[in-house]
Amino acid sequence: MRVGSVIGRVTLSQTIPAFCGARWLLISPFTRDHFQHRHNPPTGLSKDFSLVAYDDLGGGLGDTVGYVEGREAAMPFAQPTPVDAITVAIVDDVFYTPLA
Amino acid sequence: MLLARVEGSLIATRKHASFDGWRMVICQPINAAGGAEGPPQVAIDPHGAGLHQRVIISSDGAATRSAVGDPRSPARWLVIGVVDSEAG
Repeated sequence: MRVGSVIGRVTLSQTIPAFCGARWLLISPFTRDHFQHRHNPPTGLSKDFSLVAYDDLGGGLGDTVGYVEGREAAMPFAQPTPVDAITVAIVDDVFYTPLA
Repeated sequence: MLLARVEGSLIATRKHASFDGWRMVICQPINAAGGAEGPPQVAIDPHGAGLHQRVIISSDGAATRSAVGDPRSPARWLVIGVVDSEAG
């Protein structure tokens, strides 16, 4: 899982049936810098590409979320579903102590 | 599999049910000299790795699903071992 901040939501007017009613979040991934300067994070977008992730936890704008990319993102679905990123945790707190 | 250093942990109340009860640690992938390489990954830690300990993390989702005991789990990264020593 990687951690990122929610910078927006995505809604779809036309979609495949499997995604009817789905929630989507636009996530900007945390880099090492974000963890190191958590209380004074770098401004603007992360150096890493933002991504859209399926969300069934109810994450909102400004939340810090954990998300999984790749094949594992589709595992929670009963039917084969074209998802390659999914939120798996809404992060309450991060404890981070880099090696000095 | 990546060599990584444990640099922290995460607390989340709202999470996929398969993560319940598991410790989630922030693992910074490192090179042989201990320098950071790439973005930190959050892995499930069944071994109780301590802060700044070196670990091996695996992205094998099938192994992680069997470790958490949920065949539908989206979990991917797993701490598969704590490093005692490195040579070379």
